[in-house]
Amino acid sequence: MIARVRVIAVPAALVVAALLPALIPHPFVLTLATQAMVWALLAASWDLLSGYTGQVSFGHAGFFALGAYAAATATKHADLSPWLGLVFAALVAALVGGLAGFPALRLRGHYLALVTLGLAEIVRLVAQNWLELTGGPFGIHDYRTFPGLPAAPLAHRQARYVIVVAIVAASVVAMRALCERTPAGKAFRAIREDEVLAEMLGIRTTVYKLLAFVVSSAFAGLAGALYAYDVQLVSPSVASAATTSFVIGMAVFGGLGTVWGPVLGALLLFGLSEGLRFIGVVYNLIAVGLVIMIFVVFVPRGLAGGRRTA
Amino acid sequence: MLRVADVRSGYGKLEILQSVSLAVGEGEIVGLIGPNGAGKSTLLKTAFGYLAPFAGEVALEGRPLVGLRPDQVVRLGVGYVAQAGGLFADMTVHENLLLGGYALRSSREARAAVDDLYARFPLFAARRRQPAGSLSGGEQRILAVARALAVRPRLLLLDEPSAALAPRFIADVYDTIRALNGGGIAMLIVEQNVEAILAVAHRVFVLDLGRNAFDGTPAELRASDRIRRLYLGEDEG
Amino acid sequence: MLESLAEFAIQGIVLGGLYALFAVGLTLIFGVLDVINVAHGEFFAIGGYLAFATIVVLHWPGAAGVAGAAVGTFLLGLGVYPLLLAPLKRRLGARPRGPLYLVLTLGLSTFLQSSLLAAAGGDYLRVPPYAGGVLDLSFTAVSHQRLLVLVVSIVLLGGLFLFLRFHREGLAVRAVAQNPDAAQAMGINLPRVFALTLALGVGLAGAGGALMAPLFNVYPTVGFPLTIKAFAITILGGMGNLAGALVASFLISLAEAFSVMLIPSEWQNAIAFAVMIVMLLLRPSGLLGGGGRR
Repeated sequence: MIARVRVIAVPAALVVAALLPALIPHPFVLTLATQAMVWALLAASWDLLSGYTGQVSFGHAGFFALGAYAAATATKHADLSPWLGLVFAALVAALVGGLAGFPALRLRGHYLALVTLGLAEIVRLVAQNWLELTGGPFGIHDYRTFPGLPAAPLAHRQARYVIVVAIVAASVVAMRALCERTPAGKAFRAIREDEVLAEMLGIRTTVYKLLAFVVSSAFAGLAGALYAYDVQLVSPSVASAATTSFVIGMAVFGGLGTVWGPVLGALLLFGLSEGLRFIGVVYNLIAVGLVIMIFVVFVPRGLAGGRRTA
Repeated sequence: MLRVADVRSGYGKLEILQSVSLAVGEGEIVGLIGPNGAGKSTLLKTAFGYLAPFAGEVALEGRPLVGLRPDQVVRLGVGYVAQAGGLFADMTVHENLLLGGYALRSSREARAAVDDLYARFPLFAARRRQPAGSLSGGEQRILAVARALAVRPRLLLLDEPSAALAPRFIADVYDTIRALNGGGIAMLIVEQNVEAILAVAHRVFVLDLGRNAFDGTPAELRASDRIRRLYLGEDEG
Repeated sequence: MLESLAEFAIQGIVLGGLYALFAVGLTLIFGVLDVINVAHGEFFAIGGYLAFATIVVLHWPGAAGVAGAAVGTFLLGLGVYPLLLAPLKRRLGARPRGPLYLVLTLGLSTFLQSSLLAAAGGDYLRVPPYAGGVLDLSFTAVSHQRLLVLVVSIVLLGGLFLFLRFHREGLAVRAVAQNPDAAQAMGINLPRVFALTLALGVGLAGAGGALMAPLFNVYPTVGFPLTIKAFAITILGGMGNLAGALVASFLISLAEAFSVMLIPSEWQNAIAFAVMIVMLLLRPSGLLGGGGRR
């Protein structure tokens, strides 16, 4: 049943996503849709590391913020082209992810989550206190976005949306392919199911865990850069634990270990959360907390009905 | 007093016991032997409530035990001594014994029970403040048995009381077992050390590949060529 | 110079008492349940709100407010295991899937934080000091409120250690931390001990929140930074090691207090994480070795 739904639903969703600017040519809706796509990429990147490989990260807010700050500061202070800024952000996040991951991956389960949470907190503190580079608590703004976009507000919005959707879709497809069609993906799953056994079967677990860490943090950084160029303001709050919580909620909602499940979860939970803002600005996070608790305990496969739980 | 009937049990989906029945009578010592992987410990864990059987019955004096947790089974008068003793190694001898009396109604009763145990095992009275893990292997095993006595059980389940012990300690442990049985406590003992258990048991059950392979008295067991060849080969060598 | 040194030391010691109250509860929960309670700080915040509600709104005396906060968070904590952790445990069976418990308590943390925001708003609520006045030590002065925090922390921690050492339920808690299977064979009801331990741990956090309310103010996210810092302390002390958490609490708080002389104060909060990361690189089992059973 679920498999059949997937055959129809995934292409249909892609078509709707691609045609959205034409279907609903409304700046506000497109703004929200663009942000939802950025969250989808972040949730998918978390899932690659935590859902597929079973290495729970509590620090994705940190990688996201690193990417966002790298892109914004490089474009603002060094006038780097936003196109290159995307690459730069992914590289910075991957580098920090790799450096942090190298020691952290010798540790299991609990420790990794705690260390990555500490790492995100360090990113937040740096963002808040390194005034010259990051603008401190007020954040960084007044830098340019993607060049060559139409000037008319609606057309500009539509173009920005298309850029973000294209990059997110390509990234998600790449991550899904890595997880499903390569030996690395098999190694990721083997590590999640039983790390000791995986090692005995000759899988170099440290190498593959590090690979998952680097790829995951690179895409989280890319998501951060997209966020920076879209929202045009990066402040320390993006590195807060609430961001990580939101992302984990999305992944759990959609279904761990599927990559596209968290994408779905992100779109729905972001939509739900924005909808709840109309009732009251605090209710969206209550919903996130409830979604995490209910889905972890009672709906472990999430909406997408992934094969296995993490 | 303990009856196990057609029990199928195991870990998760892995079925280890395929259909096992046995009985322990009032005041009896029953030995449970068989090759590694036969399911002896699995049976003990199932009877005590650590594992829920997939099918079959376990009853203590007619009262069904299936569905009860170990902490409930203890309160019905059954003691369990795990393979390595299951002591709290970082806690003192005294604390271990007090925990043995945890199922009693009050801490005053528990303290009185521990004082009784000190009278029976003076060795431990002298070492009450020592961490249990610092005792010798044989002393630890006897402490584990003593601890299980605090609640005055009528039935003891012992999982390989002689495992990994030097011969002189095995003798000590089995002296204790014999003495306790003399006081009327029934026992179901899983053993690899066949000679040790045959010397004390009233009846013996042999398990193989999760099924009953033999039951009878130690004398009958020794007389059975088939069983002797299969399981006692090295002992008769 | 000497005077400011003494002042920093006193600040560090008072803060250390608070960290210890918080981190010892966290590490106790980890040692017994094998679960890291990401929502620990939210119980600190709830303790603060309960203090505000009882002392400012209902005009109870300070001591009653702190006691009420401790009892209130304890009672709330009693529900966490049976309602949240036990269902997940039943679903997972024997599979060791620790990280999912982390995700679950993260969800609880988000839920409690945002519920507090919805219920009480985001304002900083002020609670008057429970003890006025200042103790003059000639070389420096300490407010009575700070001394009170320290003394009550010591009393509560002392009570906890006595409970674990002598009370039969305390022995049961330690037995479960060491060997849950053997503990069950003693007649110890594991779900009951799990629920009790969690409640004790978060009750200490709640008491801490109420004690600190006059110094920190009360707002929904007041506890979260403390949770993250307590993770660093727990790792430094060895996960599940109570004495280690106690020592590490004071090491971190003193390091933070004295760091003001060397680095700008806004970086003070980064020290705990720097220590944590160095520690994990050099000695992942903690200063005093891990007391955790896994």
